Amino acid sequence: MRVDLLPTEGGGSYRFVILLLATCGILISSLPVIVVTIMSFSAADNTGFPPEALSLLWYSEVIALFTSEDANSAQSVVGSTVTSLLVAVIVMAISTGVCIPLAYVLARGDRRIRGGMELLFTLPLVFPLVILGIAFLLVAESLRLELGIWRIVIPHVALVLPFVLRNCLSAMSGISIELEEAAVSLGASPLRAIWDVVIPLMKAGILAGLIFALIISFNEFTITFFMYTVDVSTLPIWMYSRTASSLDPSTLALSVFIIVADVVLIVLVDKLIAGRASLF
Amino acid sequence: MTSDTHLHINNVSKRFDTVDALRDIDLKIERGSFVCLLGPSGCGKTTLLRIIAGFEAASKGSLILDGNDISNQPPHKRGFGMVFQSLALFPHMSVARNIGYGLKLRGIKGAAQRDRVEELLEVIQLPHIADRPVSALSGGQRQRVAIARALAIQPPLFLLDEPLSALDAQLRDNMQIELRQLQQKFGVTTVLVTHDQHEAMMLADELVVLKDGAIRQSAPPTQIYNDPADSFVADFLGAANLIDVGAIKGGAVDLFGTPVQSATPHQDGDNILAAVRAEHVGLTPVLSNGKTCVGEISFMRDLGAATEFVVAIQGKDLRVRRSSAEAQGLDIGSKVALTFDPAQVSLFKAV
Repeated sequence: MRVDLLPTEGGGSYRFVILLLATCGILISSLPVIVVTIMSFSAADNTGFPPEALSLLWYSEVIALFTSEDANSAQSVVGSTVTSLLVAVIVMAISTGVCIPLAYVLARGDRRIRGGMELLFTLPLVFPLVILGIAFLLVAESLRLELGIWRIVIPHVALVLPFVLRNCLSAMSGISIELEEAAVSLGASPLRAIWDVVIPLMKAGILAGLIFALIISFNEFTITFFMYTVDVSTLPIWMYSRTASSLDPSTLALSVFIIVADVVLIVLVDKLIAGRASLF
Repeated sequence: MTSDTHLHINNVSKRFDTVDALRDIDLKIERGSFVCLLGPSGCGKTTLLRIIAGFEAASKGSLILDGNDISNQPPHKRGFGMVFQSLALFPHMSVARNIGYGLKLRGIKGAAQRDRVEELLEVIQLPHIADRPVSALSGGQRQRVAIARALAIQPPLFLLDEPLSALDAQLRDNMQIELRQLQQKFGVTTVLVTHDQHEAMMLADELVVLKDGAIRQSAPPTQIYNDPADSFVADFLGAANLIDVGAIKGGAVDLFGTPVQSATPHQDGDNILAAVRAEHVGLTPVLSNGKTCVGEISFMRDLGAATEFVVAIQGKDLRVRRSSAEAQGLDIGSKVALTFDPAQVSLFKAV
């Protein structure tokens, strides 16, 4: 007979405590999502909760926002979305392009250097984001260059690197150097061995890092708030501008779209880290 | 037989920081022979194999393959097939792609590659596993696939780094026989690293015993077994009694009453260690304590065909192995006389 890990004696009080904790945790993490989702179906244009009547009004509003060009707003929602996606794609490309070779060198190199480098790349995470935003703004202004989209890409890369690096490093740590040597002994040049053996085995870690980069960059607000200009702005900035004075329920409907996309991506990350999926 | 040196390890030394991993290793490996590098852990045997493979550079000395200096050739240009201790099969490739990897790098593709892979799978007696992932294989199957992958490229040298150490005893026994048969079938010059003296004795044409980065003895296994060069080799090759017999006089020592003449010249007064194998010690029951070579059995165990004794004699413990028939009537506490055949006793200067 199978023995339960948790004692069931004492009136099941252990079970009760665990159920309580789990419920609290789930509520805290999902309550905002639930509220936003319910409110996005509201029929009223105020933000009273719970909504008195339900409708798809705000969803049609979002679709209208994307399909009809709004001449009044300086930066349209379409422009912001395109910028956001473009920034995210560039950030993904740069961060993996940096992190794959870096993770390889750190994993194969001196242990102490590895610790130091990991710490260095984690710095942007412990730095207060507002200060980081001001710092990047100061640097960008003092350069006196037309940076365009790069004023947002560069801070995003700094934020995303630790996540991507960590994923690549943990992927590397499972790859024994004997595998590379085996490929080399069979006639592969060292670079060929990395391409044929190391990269395919890092695949899951690289993909997980890519998705982290995408989500973090796409949702980033604080630093971007300092860096955006009239020409270069992202979707979170646009949403903030729509809600700063009075809450516009169409942004809630838009958030639901983003949440759905994010959840799909997070499920994907989960599967990849568990090593069950293979996308290529 | 004329000597045909395939690989000459020419005075190779290797230093790691302050440690001498290898000191002046000079070894000529015959074409088609099976050489075992044998020694305790840390003796430098794996370092030597990695220098041959090209993964380490020698600090001093050179490697001469067929008369050409290959010391500065990178490992992927040497094309030596290697089997690693972890086997290092590519986990993201099927068995066929693992074996075919070296062929692919040599531009052998499509049907030619498939035929060669099938041929090799036939040789390792696993004809139906080509499309399986390596994770679905048993230990013995992985072993065979790793060997097939290394032999697929028809390497001039076949290198193995303790490839059988992860297998259980019976499988290891079978794999040793198979490995030897494969090596003879392909006729490939082979260097295998091991710390297991039985494995080395079983496989090797030439046995190289290493200790502390230096070659202690290099000879065919039976010669090393019967005529070890020093007390370390005698001890390491298993079950030898090392007995301090004191100073030598007139070229002979006294081994519990048996005079043993030294085959090699020793100076009078040199302190001598005598090595004699457990199965080379004779044992006869005695009733009285009259003779000097009488000891008392302090331990015995039946090993089936043979019985092993530990005999306490003059404050020393000697291992003796006799056939079980001779053990009749003997028990712990029995008095026995030990006899030695001087021809089977090796004498070394104690250091």
